[in-house]
Amino acid sequence: MAHQLIELKDISKSFQREQTIIAALSPVNLAVRREEFVAFVGPSGCGKSTILNMVAGLLPPTTGQLSYDGAPVRDLNRRVGYMTQKDTLLPWRNVADNIGAPLELACHKTGKTGRMDKIRQMVELVGLKGFEKHFPGELSGGMRRRVALARMLIYDPETLLMDEPFGALDAQLKLVMHDEIQRIVSLGHKTVLFVTHDLSEAIALADRVVVFSSRPGQIKIVRDIDLPRPRDVFRIRFSPRFTELHEELWDELKDEVKKGTDT
Amino acid sequence: MSAQPRDPGAAAAVAVAVMSAAASRTGASESARSVFLHPVGRAAAQIAIVLAMLVLWQFGSGTLFPRVWVSSPSAIFARLVQWFSSGSIWGHMAATVSAAAIGYVLGAAAGVATGLLLGLSRKAEQILSPFVIALYSLPKVALAPFFVIFLGIGIESKIALVAVTVYFLLLYNTLDGLRDLDRGWADAYRLMGANDREIVRNVMLPGIMPWIFSGLRIGVRYAFTAAVLGELLAGNQGIGYLIESSAGQFNSSGIFAGVFILVVCSVVATEVISRAEKFVLHWRN
Amino acid sequence: MAGSNSGAAASGQGNVLLWRGLLLITLLGGWEAYGRLVSEAWFSRPMLIFARILTWAGDGLGGHVAITLAEMLAGLAIGIPLGTVFGLVLGRLPVAAGILRPIIFGLYSIPLVTLAPLFIFWFGLGLTPKIVLVAIVTFFLLFFTTFAGVQTIDREMIDSFRLLGASRREMLRKLIGPACLAWILSGIKVALPYSLIAAVVGEMLLARAGLGYLLMQASQQIDMTGMFAALFVLMAAGVAIGETVNFIERRALRWRNL
Repeated sequence: MAHQLIELKDISKSFQREQTIIAALSPVNLAVRREEFVAFVGPSGCGKSTILNMVAGLLPPTTGQLSYDGAPVRDLNRRVGYMTQKDTLLPWRNVADNIGAPLELACHKTGKTGRMDKIRQMVELVGLKGFEKHFPGELSGGMRRRVALARMLIYDPETLLMDEPFGALDAQLKLVMHDEIQRIVSLGHKTVLFVTHDLSEAIALADRVVVFSSRPGQIKIVRDIDLPRPRDVFRIRFSPRFTELHEELWDELKDEVKKGTDT
Repeated sequence: MSAQPRDPGAAAAVAVAVMSAAASRTGASESARSVFLHPVGRAAAQIAIVLAMLVLWQFGSGTLFPRVWVSSPSAIFARLVQWFSSGSIWGHMAATVSAAAIGYVLGAAAGVATGLLLGLSRKAEQILSPFVIALYSLPKVALAPFFVIFLGIGIESKIALVAVTVYFLLLYNTLDGLRDLDRGWADAYRLMGANDREIVRNVMLPGIMPWIFSGLRIGVRYAFTAAVLGELLAGNQGIGYLIESSAGQFNSSGIFAGVFILVVCSVVATEVISRAEKFVLHWRN
Repeated sequence: MAGSNSGAAASGQGNVLLWRGLLLITLLGGWEAYGRLVSEAWFSRPMLIFARILTWAGDGLGGHVAITLAEMLAGLAIGIPLGTVFGLVLGRLPVAAGILRPIIFGLYSIPLVTLAPLFIFWFGLGLTPKIVLVAIVTFFLLFFTTFAGVQTIDREMIDSFRLLGASRREMLRKLIGPACLAWILSGIKVALPYSLIAAVVGEMLLARAGLGYLLMQASQQIDMTGMFAALFVLMAAGVAIGETVNFIERRALRWRNL
């Protein structure tokens, strides 16, 4: 059998803060297939973002082996696009220039007209028409998230890492974005790791949902989401199967959330 | 910017920003409470206070205080008129302004360049930091006699003193800027596939611009102060020379008039830099 | 892995110290060699300078250091409390603050050290003009930072304290004092190095004692060894003040963490 695209073997992570060692993630095993959409849910501080950081090569695991496409991740992993929790838009570039930034780099070099076309497409995709000349400081949190999303999508990376991409969006816009992301992922044959607090969002989008337990984070349950594709994100919430999955996963999740609030 | 500024100029800038914010806030919420919170009322009070100070100075001079010590506004004004009408002031102003300007440009360019070199090589910064701290801790004015011996009492020694003073200011501002840069920006660019040069050009240089400009803004004051100190200690022209020679003749009008011209030059130059800053950093508001 | 990481960091630290030592030896050695082999007329050489500092140490250097220190401390003792009190009072009076703001800013834009000749003219060549200069410079620094500190206290916080029934005294002790302390400390941090600069400027212009005087005396005789010796003493004084500032900062940080 061919190797999986992303493989985590006994991956753990601990940080040293002054004299104490804080375990952020207990040994975790997980394999992600090519073109699979995996959603991570769990309480804050359970190490979901840490996994994304490790897959991106920004953070080495303390123990265990992490490989991407069969090779260990040692340096930055440039085959992934990463939409971090805190956005990294450059404050001195306007919306259009932030979105087009990757295409100015030598490795994705695109001519000016081609770049403008793509920026226009992306601006429309994330619904920011009319805001091209605005600076990030002038945008709301939700708009900034959409700029960051467009910047990640514009250069078409093979794997998408998304850390609460739609957290700051209102409910309607969220659904529209779910629809778009689903289309982009299936058309572009993307592999996705998706961190969210929103269980419904995870079930609606993912092929598999991974529920994490709280500190130190570890995988509590991995659930296949057997809802047929393509999914109608606007209606899927009302299907009986969705409700069943939601109830089942919520039972797993709520203890963890409670544990998190107790401390 | 950091809330705990390293140098007095920045402290003052923060304080002024806070003051104006506070003034506008109280102006909005308590405008009914006092006529002095109304812009017109406040301006009237300000003018009244300044006039009262001038009048007290004018009439206290010779009665409350010895005239030879404190001069008087009219005598200072007369001195300024005399300097400008005879044209004798222009040469002195040109000397000070050109020393300050040339030293400022040289020092700032070298400071930013060194800051970038040190900031981009952690190793070099670690190795050199005690040397840099030792030089930084030295009161720069102590170098003035060295420059006079090596470069003479002309403008060159003043340029050198200004350049050294501005150099360390910009060096530290550049290092602070690089240290405070959001690491996420560079990481994001690296993940997109940027090479080191592209990161320097796209993230670091524009990212430290606010710090460089705050250094440049404060540096104007440093530059004029250093140029004048150089002239006070040794020289035969410049505003500092005017101040020193007036002091030597027990002529306090000349001291005040010289300091007044210096303040005007410094304020005008600071305003020019502030405008440039607003223009370059237009994305900030 | 964690073990090997910290091991690498430790050996990296050792490397840095080694490089620093090598650089220092190269600089001083090169300087010494230049002085011995080419000429010591312009740059003297480290051995002579070191010998001079030792000679001075047995012959009045302590007195000069004490004079400079006395000027700084006296000036700070006047400038810091006055600046703090003015900042606190004016900060609590929004009407007066609004009116005086541009006037005070205007006064602050005067490069204060260039007033040194005036103070010498007024107060002669003793310690007084230097003390006045240090006091005025530090007054303004403390005034500005304290004033800013008072302004940053949230109005709603003050109101909520009032609603809790705090008296004026309690407000000052529990809220305004602690909130401003960080700003006052940061003002003192800046004022300390500036007090050395102000004192040295005063001494370089006209004095009979002090480190600035020592430097100028050597320079009038074009005694390069003496000039460098004075420069190194001043540098040491500057570093000592920097360390004092760091000490205050660490204390302040610990206080803030409590």
